[in-house]
Amino acid sequence: MASIDTTSTEPIRRPFEGRRVHLGDVLLQGFAGAAAVGVVVIVGLIVWKLVDSADPAISKYGVGFVWHKVWNPVVGREAYGAASFLFGTAITSFFALLIATPLAIGIALFLTELAPRGIQAPVTALVEMLAAVPSVVIGLWGILVLGPALRTNIESWLHSAFGFIPLFGPPSASGASIFTAIIVLSIMILPIVSSISRELFLGVPHELKEGALALGTTRWEMVRGVMFPYARGGIAAALILGLGRAMGEAIAVTQVIGGGVFIHWSLFGQGDTLASKIASEYQGATSNLEVASLIYLGLILLMLSLVANLTAQWIVRRVERRHGVVRGGRA
Amino acid sequence: MPRLGTSIRTITALAIAAAVAVTAAGAASAKRATTLNGAGSTLIAPALAVWGPAYSKTSGTEVNYSGIGSGGGIAAITAKTVDFGASDAPLNPDQAAACSDCVQIPWALSATVPTYNIPGLHSGQLKLDGTTLAKIFLGQITKWNDPAIASLNKGTSLPDLAITVAHRSDGSGDTYAFTDYLSKVSSAWASQVGPAATAVNWPTGVGGKGNPGVAAIIASTPGAIGYISVAYVKQNKLNWTRMKNAAGNYVLATGPAIEAAAQTVKSVPPDNKMSIVNPPSSSKYKGAWPLSTFTYVIVHTSSTQAQALRKFIFWALTPKAQHLISNSFLVFAPIPKVVLVAAEKTLAKVH
Repeated sequence: MASIDTTSTEPIRRPFEGRRVHLGDVLLQGFAGAAAVGVVVIVGLIVWKLVDSADPAISKYGVGFVWHKVWNPVVGREAYGAASFLFGTAITSFFALLIATPLAIGIALFLTELAPRGIQAPVTALVEMLAAVPSVVIGLWGILVLGPALRTNIESWLHSAFGFIPLFGPPSASGASIFTAIIVLSIMILPIVSSISRELFLGVPHELKEGALALGTTRWEMVRGVMFPYARGGIAAALILGLGRAMGEAIAVTQVIGGGVFIHWSLFGQGDTLASKIASEYQGATSNLEVASLIYLGLILLMLSLVANLTAQWIVRRVERRHGVVRGGRA
Repeated sequence: MPRLGTSIRTITALAIAAAVAVTAAGAASAKRATTLNGAGSTLIAPALAVWGPAYSKTSGTEVNYSGIGSGGGIAAITAKTVDFGASDAPLNPDQAAACSDCVQIPWALSATVPTYNIPGLHSGQLKLDGTTLAKIFLGQITKWNDPAIASLNKGTSLPDLAITVAHRSDGSGDTYAFTDYLSKVSSAWASQVGPAATAVNWPTGVGGKGNPGVAAIIASTPGAIGYISVAYVKQNKLNWTRMKNAAGNYVLATGPAIEAAAQTVKSVPPDNKMSIVNPPSSSKYKGAWPLSTFTYVIVHTSSTQAQALRKFIFWALTPKAQHLISNSFLVFAPIPKVVLVAAEKTLAKVH
C-alpha cells in the first residue's frame, strides 16, 4: 500500500484499501460485525438457558432420559423420558423426506426443463405459495380433510394390500396418525426443496446442457449426466433444510399426529414428536419437573438440528469435492 | 460523504420524532384509566369477553384477557407478567410454592361434558354412568354395542362400531374435572391412571389440542367420544351425553344442573380448593351434573394493582356479573353463597 502511494504521483483510489476512514465503511463494519456477534450470543444464550431450565430433569434422569420410554405428568407418579418422541421425530421426518424428495425434484425439473412457457410462471408461483400457507392452517386441513380421507382411502388400501409389512398396520381410527403427520410434513417441505432445486437447475450453464444434447444424449441422460451432478451438493443441502423443517415443525404435527407415548412400526398408529410434545404440553405444564423435562426435549431437538446442519455441510463439501463441481463463478 | 451526512441527519431527525411520539403516547396512556391484564384458562375466556366491556362501562377500568391455557396463566401470574391469572384447576403444591403470596379465588362455575359421534344417535340420546365412562376411557369397553352400554340405553339401538376415545393433548382444566370425576367413580381408574390432573398418561385414545382439536376428532370420526367444555358444546351444537349421577338420575349439563352440583359445598377450605364432581346420592342433588367444576382467578396478595384487582374481582362475584355469564349461551352457573362469602374473605387479603 505504502509503496503504491510513494511510486505514483497521483494516489490510486482502491475501494477497500485506502487509508482514509470512510464513515460508511465503519458503520458497515460495525453493523455487520454486531449482527454476526449478536447471532452467536443469542444462540449461546439459548443453549445456556435451555440447559439451565432443563437442569432439574437433567440432574434427575441424566442421559438415560434419552432412551426411557415413559411420560406421566400426574403429580405423585411423575416419570419422563424422550425415547418415544425421538422415535416419532425420526420416523415422521424420514418418511416425509422420502416422499417429498422425488416429488420436489420432479417439480423442479418439470418447471425448468419440461413445462411449456405459459405454465411455468403460474405453477412456480403456486408451489411457492404452498410455502406461505401457515402451518396451523395446513394442520387444520390435515385434521378435518386429509386425515379422514387418508384413513378411508389410502390407509385401509395399504393395509389390505401390504398389511404383511409392519409399517402398514390397521388403519387409524380417527385419521389422526403418524401417517397423516408424514403427509402434512411432506407438503410443508415440498416447496422448500423444489424451489431451491429449481434455482439450482436454472443455474446449470446452457452450454453444458446444449453440449450434452448436441452429443446425442436423450433428455433423461442430459438430466442425469449434467444437471444432477451439477446440482447434487445444493440439493443435498436443500434436503437437510427440509429435514430441519420437518423435525422442528410443531403446530401442524400436534394437530394431526394424535399424541401418545408409543413406539410402534405401524405408520397408521399415533404418536408424538419432540416438537409436538413440547407444543401440546408446555403451556399446561404443572410441575417444575414436567417443565424441565419438556425443556430437556427442546434441548435434544436443538442438538438434533445442529447435527443435521453439520451433516448437511459435510455432505455438501464432500459431494462438491468428489465431483469437482463447476459453478458459475468458479469455473 | 455529503449524501451520507444528509441521510444521517434524516435518520437522527426521524429517531427524535419517533422518541417524542413514543413519549407522548406513553404519557397519554398513563393519563388513561387503569388497565388490568390477565391470562390463563380458555374455559373462562368467553366469560371475560362479556365481563371486560361490562366492567369497563361501569368502572372505567379496562380488562385485557388472553386465553393461553390454565397452566400458562399460572406461570404468567407466578412470573408477575400479568395482573391476574385464571385456572380451572386449583394450584398444585409445586405451583403454590412457586407463587407463595398468591391466593386463588373461585369466581365462576362451569362443567365438562362427554360428547359423541354415533351415527343414528341424536344429541341427548346416549346415556352413560361413571363406571362405564371410566371403562371406555381405560380401553376396556371398545364397542358401542357392548352389553355395559346397551344396558344403560334400553330402547336405543347401538351400532356394532368401534369406540374411539378422544382426549386433550394439552394440559387442561377440562381434563382436570374429567379425571377428577373418573378417579372418584372408578377405583380402576384411580389406581391405573391416578388422581385428578390437568394432563395424564392416557391408557387409550387420540389426543387433540384444545377444545377445537378434540371436537374436530369427534366430528370426523364415527364412533368417537370425548369431553369438552360445556360452553363449547353449546356454541357448536355438539351431542350432549346424559350422565347418571349418584342419585340415579340421567341429567344434562344445564345451568341449574351445574348449580345443583355446587350446592354440595358446605364449607370452603382456607385454600379455596374444592371438588364438586360426583355429588352424593341424596335426593337434594337429584338433578346435579356430576362433572361440574369451579374455575379460579389467581392474584398476588400485594401488588401495585391490588386495589383495582380487588374491585374487579369483587364486581365479578356479584350476582349481577354472575348472571351476565349464566345464560343459555354461555352456560356458566352462579357460584353458591357459601363460596361467595369465602371468595370475598380471601379477596380482602389482596391489598
